[in-house]
Amino acid sequence: MSQDRITFDNVSRFYGEVLGVNRVTLSIPPGITSLVGPNGSGKTTLLNLMTGLVRPTEGDIRILGIEPRDPRKMFRMVGYSTQFDSFPRGATGRGFIYSFLRLFGYPSSKASALTAEALDVVHLTDAADRKIAGYSKGMRQRVKLAQAIAHDPQVLVLDEPLNGLDPLVRAETLTLFRKYAAEGRHVFVSTHILHEVDMISDQFILLSNGYVVAEGQIQDVRSEIREHPLQVTIRCKQPHALASKVFEMDHVVEVRLHPDGKGVLVLTRAAELFYRKLNHIAMGDFGVESIAPADDTVKSVYEYLIGEESQR
Amino acid sequence: MIAEFWSQIIAVVRIEFTKTFFARRSVWIYLLALLPAALFFINSIYSKRVHERLAKIAIEHPVRKDALRSIRRGMTADQVVQVLGEPYRKNSREFWNGRPPQRHERLTYYYTDGEVDVTFFFNDGTMQGIGRSGGGQTLSGLQLVFASVFQLYFIRLAIFFGCAGIFTNLFRGEMLDKSLHFYLLSPVPRPVVVVGKFVSGLLATAIIFSASTALQFYAMLRGFDSIPVHEYLHNGGWNHLAAYTGISVLACAAYGSIFLAIGLIMKNPAVPSALLLLWESVNAFIPGSLKMASVVFYLQSLCPIEAPPDVTIPPAFLALVAPAERVGTFTGIAVMVTLTLLVLAASGLLSRKLEINYSVD
Repeated sequence: MSQDRITFDNVSRFYGEVLGVNRVTLSIPPGITSLVGPNGSGKTTLLNLMTGLVRPTEGDIRILGIEPRDPRKMFRMVGYSTQFDSFPRGATGRGFIYSFLRLFGYPSSKASALTAEALDVVHLTDAADRKIAGYSKGMRQRVKLAQAIAHDPQVLVLDEPLNGLDPLVRAETLTLFRKYAAEGRHVFVSTHILHEVDMISDQFILLSNGYVVAEGQIQDVRSEIREHPLQVTIRCKQPHALASKVFEMDHVVEVRLHPDGKGVLVLTRAAELFYRKLNHIAMGDFGVESIAPADDTVKSVYEYLIGEESQR
Repeated sequence: MIAEFWSQIIAVVRIEFTKTFFARRSVWIYLLALLPAALFFINSIYSKRVHERLAKIAIEHPVRKDALRSIRRGMTADQVVQVLGEPYRKNSREFWNGRPPQRHERLTYYYTDGEVDVTFFFNDGTMQGIGRSGGGQTLSGLQLVFASVFQLYFIRLAIFFGCAGIFTNLFRGEMLDKSLHFYLLSPVPRPVVVVGKFVSGLLATAIIFSASTALQFYAMLRGFDSIPVHEYLHNGGWNHLAAYTGISVLACAAYGSIFLAIGLIMKNPAVPSALLLLWESVNAFIPGSLKMASVVFYLQSLCPIEAPPDVTIPPAFLALVAPAERVGTFTGIAVMVTLTLLVLAASGLLSRKLEINYSVD
């Protein structure tokens, strides 16, 4: 079993007769992994299973080779910012993180230094000595993030971490996630803000009704969805000519001119073949400026897989 | 590893103790604890005043103790005056009674030896009754009152409810506040969290209730002159104080461990707490062997002075319930400590199965 992966081996969790997640098998490499799915799909259950807040009804979970039921080892490596918007009564931002760090056995000076560092990362230094009860939603979100990163974990688990954050802080938070991922750590993010998932994720997991519907890199997943032709946007100087040329291909099912008249949108059932032929076309006299897939996004995949499922 | 656990327990205690000791919801526990101390304090002020008044009268109208004790019903007012001298105060009242109505005289004579106020009631010159007031305020009498208050109110109600309030909240309160998960996301094993929380609860309750015990003891003594107080303290008084304080701490530990377990397991701790209260309260009414299955039995066994028998038990019922033999000090302490450790160990095991599912709670 890989020591740098988060693994779920046939994990199920039922709440009485209610399904939380069912037969989940995953092997997640380091990087940013996004967990997406509609409300009630089992995202939080999956995160709580990972961190031992709930136990699997069956199956086995390992975080970098360690079982969640071993908190002494696990929580030195894992930081979890939960969805619960609640804190110990009367706690200040600084006191909350400091107390948490003391539980790790850090001496007072070290705990104070790490607290200050974490608060600085989330820009809460000025409000650190105010009571959390008086914080705004965004500040509470940031103090939770600070608590999760304060002990410099190898695995960061975040449940809707971007909720309530203003655009500037949101951008900084995403940068922080990228930095963590670049250092070879795991950043496991549950979110419903799909365009941001696209921006940051190395891989994603799509959950629906407790089942993993899709997982992996987005392009790989998209290419597996064959019932929906792949959409490719080609920006060029001769869109009309290009459209008629492209439409000659058998696998192209639709070609649309871009509304601004400076490109075409092509729908094809054979992406690889299309790209191969496109290389020849691009060398022609169409003034091709860029070629980009238009729907290999998490949002598209989500709509194709979850949207259809919910319509059935 | 042991050193690590200790440091984690101390870290948990640091967080929990401040929360528990200074919580707004603990105010009623302070009131419960301080109520008997306040009553003893008020009593000491009152009895001191009475004592000073009687002492002053005794100087002006001296009466010998043995002479006062020699007075019996049936004696005439003149005979009483002959033995004790003139009373420091007397009342007389005439009334008509019988058929045909006849005139009668009721006399009341007041004497004091400086400690007890004695009243003699005469009808038509013959003594019909004797009343004593300002009594029960002897140091030995007040020790019995202390023993009764300690065993019937302090242990059974104040410490019981105080521990219920503090210890059930250690887990259940955090479940309701949705903040328990922070502990479970730290590298502290759950049984260590249980021990840390228990120690913080024990520290808080032990400080509150042993301080109250000491205050009550002080308030009991402050109404008396220094000589009898000094005599009492050096003839077992300090031991009594140590015993009562120790029993308070043991009670906090034993009840505390039980309430911590209840708060850990039960969504609504009120029902099992009420059942436990019922069991502990009917302890006086149950057969001897069953008494031994209650916490209060061992705590009462450890008390240096036995409380006077419960007068509320009907005589017919008294015949049915054989009083249990008091256990020895060592046995009493050993049972309480063992119970606490066993319940704590069970709580530690149960905590390993604890899950965070606030929506259900």
